[in-house]
Amino acid sequence: MERIDYQQLKAGEVNLGTSIMAVQFSNGVVIGADSRTTTGSYIANRVTDKLTHVHDRVYCCRSGSAADTQAVADMVTYYMQLYSQSTGTPPPVHTAASVFQKICYENKDQLSAGIIVAGWDKEVGPSVYNIPLGGGLFRQPWAIGGSGSTYVYGYCDATYQEGWGRDETVNFVKNTLALAMSRDGSSGGVIRMCVITEEGVERLFVPGNELPKFWQGTEVLAAPKGKAVPPEPQVVPMAVE
Amino acid sequence: MTSIGTGYDLSASTYSPDGRIFQVEYANKAVENSGTAIGLKVKDGIVLAVEKLVHSKLLVPGANRRIQTVDRHIGMATAGLPADGRTVASRARDEAASFRDFYRSPPTLATIADRLGHFVQMYTLYSSVRPFGLSTILGAVDKDGPALYVIEPSGVFFGYHGAAVGKGRQLAKTELEKLKLSELTAREAVIEAARIIYLVHEDAKEKEFELEMSWIGPETNGQHVAVPKDLFDEAETKAREALASGFE
Amino acid sequence: MASVFSPPGFDFSNQLRNNFIAEKGLPLPKATSTGTTIVGCLFEDGIVLGADTRATEGPIVADKNCEKIHYITENIRCCGAGTAADTEFTTALISSNMEMHSLSTGRKPRVVTAMTMLKQMLFRYQGQVGAALVLGGVDATGPHLFTIHPHGSTDKLPYVTMGSGSLAAMAVFESGWKANMSREAALQLVKDAISAGIFNDLGSGSNVDACIITASHTEMLRNVEMPNVRVQKERQYGFRRGTTAWKSEEIRNLIVSEEVTMLGGGDEMDTT
Repeated sequence: MERIDYQQLKAGEVNLGTSIMAVQFSNGVVIGADSRTTTGSYIANRVTDKLTHVHDRVYCCRSGSAADTQAVADMVTYYMQLYSQSTGTPPPVHTAASVFQKICYENKDQLSAGIIVAGWDKEVGPSVYNIPLGGGLFRQPWAIGGSGSTYVYGYCDATYQEGWGRDETVNFVKNTLALAMSRDGSSGGVIRMCVITEEGVERLFVPGNELPKFWQGTEVLAAPKGKAVPPEPQVVPMAVE
Repeated sequence: MTSIGTGYDLSASTYSPDGRIFQVEYANKAVENSGTAIGLKVKDGIVLAVEKLVHSKLLVPGANRRIQTVDRHIGMATAGLPADGRTVASRARDEAASFRDFYRSPPTLATIADRLGHFVQMYTLYSSVRPFGLSTILGAVDKDGPALYVIEPSGVFFGYHGAAVGKGRQLAKTELEKLKLSELTAREAVIEAARIIYLVHEDAKEKEFELEMSWIGPETNGQHVAVPKDLFDEAETKAREALASGFE
Repeated sequence: MASVFSPPGFDFSNQLRNNFIAEKGLPLPKATSTGTTIVGCLFEDGIVLGADTRATEGPIVADKNCEKIHYITENIRCCGAGTAADTEFTTALISSNMEMHSLSTGRKPRVVTAMTMLKQMLFRYQGQVGAALVLGGVDATGPHLFTIHPHGSTDKLPYVTMGSGSLAAMAVFESGWKANMSREAALQLVKDAISAGIFNDLGSGSNVDACIITASHTEMLRNVEMPNVRVQKERQYGFRRGTTAWKSEEIRNLIVSEEVTMLGGGDEMDTT
């Protein structure tokens, strides 16, 4: 049977042109996301919450189609409720990630969803799983996703170190997202973060006017510090014959 | 039986006036006629042992096994109709495989026991089917540690430290109660299991039997496997010795 | 050869055919679309919803005073933009299901329930049901306001706009909305937002409808603002009798007269 290009069919739908991230640290994970939802060039929601609850200690970061990722996350939430009710124990992060992966892979032709699953469980402690577009499943110490992530792979590679604590990890996520949001037109707004540990889930919020600032592009135009301003070049009007 | 001839025992879908289902009780009788099966949950593992009565000298040794593997880390021993044991084991494997397929992780024994309990219970509801003439001992070492369950013909299941089903269950239970199961190692439990099976067989001495034993523990890498030959032989020898000294 | 295997779910393969036909120069018939301004906003004790009343068919105004605020339950209402038939029938269906759900659970209906039903239905139809909705209401858990896009994605916000006039309306909200506004201030803001759509968006027009939902009461304000009433013409433009000259006159009798012959006695029916 002929395949239909659903990406094309769904032109005009709501997209999470996004910057999302999850990082594992000694006793938990930090997840974060920007807050922009777009329909074409219009920002449909500038304070979106892309950090979605799946179970008590399992969250996911959503990127791609808003409708698809919400539907998939709702399904997994249902399955995780079923799991904890029937086994009497909260689901491991790996289990939630596996169910996400299964749904994303089996419906890969119809979905555009890039999801990062992260959380804490009794068996392995903190963990981060990346489920990119095709429906793969990869455990990583840190993962970034969405359209903004392409701009900050180098920054993450250069900055990330093993053995960080909570505060260093939160800073890493905050800085990475701020950098991604400043370069990616489809990302922006505020930064939302969650710190997931055995004890609980703590939500963090960085307003759009308090984002970490990096190079702003002003130095090039200004004169070098301490040096005399070179004299303006003499402009002689051209004589008109 | 008081109600013979009343007709209330012809179908599993009919209660007797005093609220019993005779077909389920008859299924329990089928279990009582079977050779004993025991299971021990000890501090670092599980041991299953079966007294398999050999009806014919023409049978190949090791044939018609009553201990079966459900998943890499789950084993089961049955007492009752051997054919029913195969059916339940097959269903248990399907359940374990479906759990693995969906959640990509090994199932806990509690989950498998729950699903099998439902399966067995379904056969107590309809006039078109016969309840399983089977008591199943399920043993596993899962993420929560060693676990041991027994499913009865009615579909109820309980968790145990030590379990015994079949003909010699009363004596076996008395022996199991004497042990400090939570302090035993799996290796020690193999010796005890063999001894108990040999002891309970004394009542049915006229029949030939074959000892069947499996275990899950640190020496098996968390997998359900048959007890290795050297340990098996050692356990069997010690069981015979214990029996001989017990009668002096 | 086509495969005999048919996957589960809906079959969207006619879309291919329709696209092909459209490419050959025969576009699909235009559905009546509510090129629309719809809005909703939170205030101190509830939700105000607003909508314009223009329905269009391409460049033609199909209805100058239609209703776009649909009934879901007594305490939940839904504004619809997009394909008029789709918004009409999805809201009617969900309204029915909400009534049944409320009857079977014995509980007052909740806004999230309606939101979940709507998003799951729209997701199932993969955007083919062109309903863009603003759902608002007050339930046991407080006031709630959602937008639901045709593909089934939802957003929960304190003030929302949708439809072709959403940009004009959002500009009003972004500059004028405050937390915990009074009922009067919120209604005025909604009127202003819809008016912005009516006057600045070609797809929107005519009158303003509003609906105020609080914990105890729902007030539907139909045509709360009518900025486009047709004024009395200053002159009569009809031609005076006798303007056109004629050469001959013929008057025909258009009344048909028949003769009916009764057969077989022709007794009247016995009505005693």
